[in-house]
Amino acid sequence: MFRYSAAMTLLGGLVALVTAVAPAASASASTTGSASASVGWVRCAHLSPNTPAVDVYMYAFGTTSNPTILRHVSYGNVSDYMAVKPGQYTVAMRAAGAPSASKPVLSNSFSISAGKSYTIAGVGPANGLRLQAFDDQLTAPAGKSLVRVIQASLKEHNVTVSYGSDVLANKLAFASATNYQAIEAGSGMVKFSSSGSDTSAPVELSADTVHTIVVLDGANGLKVDTLTDAAGSQVAPAGAAQTGFGGTAPRPVSPAPWLLTMAAGALLALAGFASLRRTRSGRTGAAR
Amino acid sequence: MKLPRKRLWSVTALTAGVLVVGAGTAGLIATHGHTSTVRLASRPSTVPAPTSPEFSPVPNQTAQPPGGLSGVAQPALPVKLTIPSIGVRTSLIHLGLQANGSLQVPGSTTVAGWYTGSPRPGAVGGAVIAGHVDNYHGPAVFYWLRDLKPGDKVYVTRADGTIAVFSVTRVQEYPKAAFPTSVVYGPAPDAELRLITCGGTFDSTTGHYLSNVIAYATLVQ
Repeated sequence: MFRYSAAMTLLGGLVALVTAVAPAASASASTTGSASASVGWVRCAHLSPNTPAVDVYMYAFGTTSNPTILRHVSYGNVSDYMAVKPGQYTVAMRAAGAPSASKPVLSNSFSISAGKSYTIAGVGPANGLRLQAFDDQLTAPAGKSLVRVIQASLKEHNVTVSYGSDVLANKLAFASATNYQAIEAGSGMVKFSSSGSDTSAPVELSADTVHTIVVLDGANGLKVDTLTDAAGSQVAPAGAAQTGFGGTAPRPVSPAPWLLTMAAGALLALAGFASLRRTRSGRTGAAR
Repeated sequence: MKLPRKRLWSVTALTAGVLVVGAGTAGLIATHGHTSTVRLASRPSTVPAPTSPEFSPVPNQTAQPPGGLSGVAQPALPVKLTIPSIGVRTSLIHLGLQANGSLQVPGSTTVAGWYTGSPRPGAVGGAVIAGHVDNYHGPAVFYWLRDLKPGDKVYVTRADGTIAVFSVTRVQEYPKAAFPTSVVYGPAPDAELRLITCGGTFDSTTGHYLSNVIAYATLVQ
């Protein structure tokens, strides 16, 4: 009986080993990814006509170290968007070239959320300058262009802006912005009406793209700047991309031959063991 | 004499059986006992970053200064892609859509392609570049894409000789059944790049990989 139980233990152990190995072999390691990026985006603008150039500092709230610095930002300048970690930030403006430790002319705190974009602008006349955050949009309705107007002309206090039959801004006051509106994409002339006269300027408003039209004081009358707030693919391809033919893929090898070998071995061992038991009991019987 | 012979057979069968089980187990462990993906041993040597008269490799410590009014002037078309850290240096072809609406992929496995429906590299939005991970026999242009690390530089040379420099932010693998369409092709407020290839398990019945590997990068210069 000892041999019998020993053989059973051995077989049992092997079966356990097989069941342990097989799932491990079929599991595939796959993920490469780090945590998904969650950032917000900020761009800075100088929209105060009679304020000289400034240096813009952006600090993580409550710190004075490692600010992001935009140097010599003058009227009409708008930075590209910068990706930042979501959270509270303090934006400070100093006269261009002023020491970074000097007292800022102006500062304000803003909250940046993940997946959202903002334009932080110095707006208003020099004697009433303030830092204001505009909430920007990322997504235009399919096939349309999403457009808003920021009025930063001090020469003209109210400006009406139209594009084709769409009125983008109606008597928009200095230092204010319209909501976004969806319009037909295309290129054309944008018209500005103010107290003085009507002017127009060519703009290109792309489909699936978000734009801000900024009305600025020009050397003569008004001028316009068309910003791109966000853009994506014009048409999103369906589904995934088939970019491989398998030449370097790990070849899955079937475990069946090995499992069959083990089964055959187990059968052979069992047969031998059973036969051994029979001969032993037969011999015992004969000796009696 | 009859009994001992039978006994000998029994012992031999038992012993042989146990040995065969042992051999089978050893074979199974040897061929299936590891889960790491098989990768080719030799990595390509790195290639130098491209240079142009406008390009200075010195990183700018502060954020990029406001370059005047950031209007909607389009950058020139992309013509070449260089990723020094993984040895990629390829021309860029143009990719459109296939009849079924999916992304066209390069006919050659040695070049990558820019999806013409996506923003141009360096313009606002996520520019999309796809390349094969392998051909029928071995590695293709984007074989090492999954090894990109955050901070690795990606250079896109444009038709006018200017170079857009991107920095990798992350690399992620997605099952194709859950392809992140809105993340890859959706809007972005800054100039970004998505490099797409295949990965994961290869399904030999369909002849396609089951996952896509996507490297995300943002413009730094």
